Amino acid sequence: METRDERGKEDAEKLLHGVLILDAKVLGFTAGILCGLSLFIATNWLVVKGGEQVGRNLQLLSQYFIGYRVSFFGSIIGFFYGFAFGTLGGALVGWIYNRITLLRTKMK
Amino acid sequence: MADRMSAFFRMNDEPVIIIGAGPAGLSAAYELAQRGISIRILERSDTVGGIARTERYRDYYFDIGGHRFFSKIERINRLWQEMMGDAFIKVPRLSRIYYNGKFFQYPLSISNTVRNLGISESILILISYLASQLKPHPVEETFEQWVSNRFGTRLYQTFFKTYTEKVWGIPCSTIRADWAAQRIKGLSLLSAVTNAVFGTQKTKSLINEFDYPPLGPGMMWQRFQERIEAAGGDVRLNSDVVRISFSGKSIQSITVRQEGSLREMPVGRLISSIPLTRLALLMEPAVPDCVREAAEGLSYRAFLIVVLIINREHLFPDQWIYIHSPLVRVGRIQNFRNWSGAMVPDPGTTSIGMEYFCDEGDDFWRTPDEDLVALAARELEALGLANSGDVVEGLVVRQPNAYPVYDQDYRKHLEVMRGFFGEFDNLQTIGRSGMHRYNNMDHSMLTGLLAAENCAGASHNLWEINEEEEYLEEQKKEAGGAAVFDQILGQTFSRMDKLAFAVATGTAAGLALFLATAWLVVKGGTVVGPHLRLLAQYFPGYTVTFHGSFVAFSYSFFWGFLGGWLFAYLRNFFLALYLYRIRKKAEIMTLRQFFDYL
Repeated sequence: METRDERGKEDAEKLLHGVLILDAKVLGFTAGILCGLSLFIATNWLVVKGGEQVGRNLQLLSQYFIGYRVSFFGSIIGFFYGFAFGTLGGALVGWIYNRITLLRTKMK
Repeated sequence: MADRMSAFFRMNDEPVIIIGAGPAGLSAAYELAQRGISIRILERSDTVGGIARTERYRDYYFDIGGHRFFSKIERINRLWQEMMGDAFIKVPRLSRIYYNGKFFQYPLSISNTVRNLGISESILILISYLASQLKPHPVEETFEQWVSNRFGTRLYQTFFKTYTEKVWGIPCSTIRADWAAQRIKGLSLLSAVTNAVFGTQKTKSLINEFDYPPLGPGMMWQRFQERIEAAGGDVRLNSDVVRISFSGKSIQSITVRQEGSLREMPVGRLISSIPLTRLALLMEPAVPDCVREAAEGLSYRAFLIVVLIINREHLFPDQWIYIHSPLVRVGRIQNFRNWSGAMVPDPGTTSIGMEYFCDEGDDFWRTPDEDLVALAARELEALGLANSGDVVEGLVVRQPNAYPVYDQDYRKHLEVMRGFFGEFDNLQTIGRSGMHRYNNMDHSMLTGLLAAENCAGASHNLWEINEEEEYLEEQKKEAGGAAVFDQILGQTFSRMDKLAFAVATGTAAGLALFLATAWLVVKGGTVVGPHLRLLAQYFPGYTVTFHGSFVAFSYSFFWGFLGGWLFAYLRNFFLALYLYRIRKKAEIMTLRQFFDYL
């Protein structure tokens, strides 16, 4: 006869049948959109605010993102850079996570 | 070889014979007739509908047991609509529980229950509930343990025990937990999550109102009969099957008593919805001893309904009332005019059905009708619902084999029966009694439809139809396909591997800072990375140099690891909390509608 615990476990097992596997592409794409939009909004926010020296600190990103400026046109370039790096970063996290998860599952 | 050849020709030449014109038998017959397959349906009584029939007395119609037409199985809903169409009326549901001299709203509401029970009793019930959650019965073999584990011992004893024992006539400690698990759906984690993810609006509306034929369920079965006959099917009432002859693993013929004479009919394919126990007794030659013993071990609960016509326009607003009071024997009271006004011809009167649960042949079953009518009138007065003097007349309807009993040994006996009857190549058993399964009307009909499909070449295993799966299948379809459903649930509710996520985020963060530093080093200049260097405030020893980029990787990996682990931990924690919450919510929902399942 099944005990309450056994039945509960069996029931839960149907649902929680394994460890979460991430979709690296989707995660990468999502992170890319987030990063791209963040940089786009951050840049335009400073452009709209205006001032004598617009976005002096954000301008430092041009060290990495060649062609990036704190301007409306720069925000579009920033979006593409942000999207590219976010996508790479997100996909990398997803890929490494899945590799380790599969490895650990096999070891069990 | 000759036997096989004759069986083959019989299967193709003879009509499919269906024993029993209840919901399952009629569904099978209708499905076959629609497919152009010749059928003959044999019903022992003089009306169709089985235990879901409607009886009639001087233009008063009364439903045996009360049957609401709602189903989560779309196919059955479509079939009902096909039969009734616009004739269906929508009935807003109202039913209450009578306990301890008070009426409790049903489905149960917390405020009403607390008000009726009193604060002190409510607190004791709450304490008992918490105790059951902290220290449940380790083993759930009986109904008593099953309910106590979920709702607490005190609530079980004060609320559920009396009514359940009235219905089943045996102590709750001898009813198997299986019965509750099968009857009470929506308690599994899977179905609770399904409801939470895909919504329960439909279920809620089904609880609050239902479809009903204006003259009771009999109207539906009458239409089934008409459609079957219109399609060329042969529906024979007052036809009692007295013998089923078989040879090897094939049914050869049946003998039917019609208008006092016996008639033998050859059988190609047979679908039986009569009780399994009766089926075993009808077999010729006699079934093996082990099968006979198993048949004797299976039992059914019967009930009788005392219909009272009362000289009052209004008694109570409910369609039915559950009577939990141990002071009276009646278990449930139906008020037929509240199901449909058309069931009562005289608007100045009311007809009610007092339902008593008993065993076929016991003392109560054999009580003379006039004594039962007198008892019902007395109990009605004792409950304060009407004066016995208002009772104009009464009659009694006895219904044997109403509920298959899930006692301690039923499963063992059922396995033997399934094993024996399952080997016949031209026999299928369907419906509540035919499968000794506590199906509702819709599931019984589904077994009939699937049995008909089997006759047309499909290979459904009727015994493997799981009610919960059927419900879930429908919800899966509504959600846009089984694969999507499984994927969504699996992906959403699986546990996240904390270590793997921590390593992944640590590595990504480490690499990002490593590359950011190395890039500036490679670019060079008079002052290399004056701003990035500020990170040394948090990462002691960090410089914008090639060596510093490794230091940056280590620091960044560490913090990324920590952040990732924490994220995964919190995600798993809140997910577990969410699952716990929806499971408890499902239990509370079950508690609110508990008596619908009995």
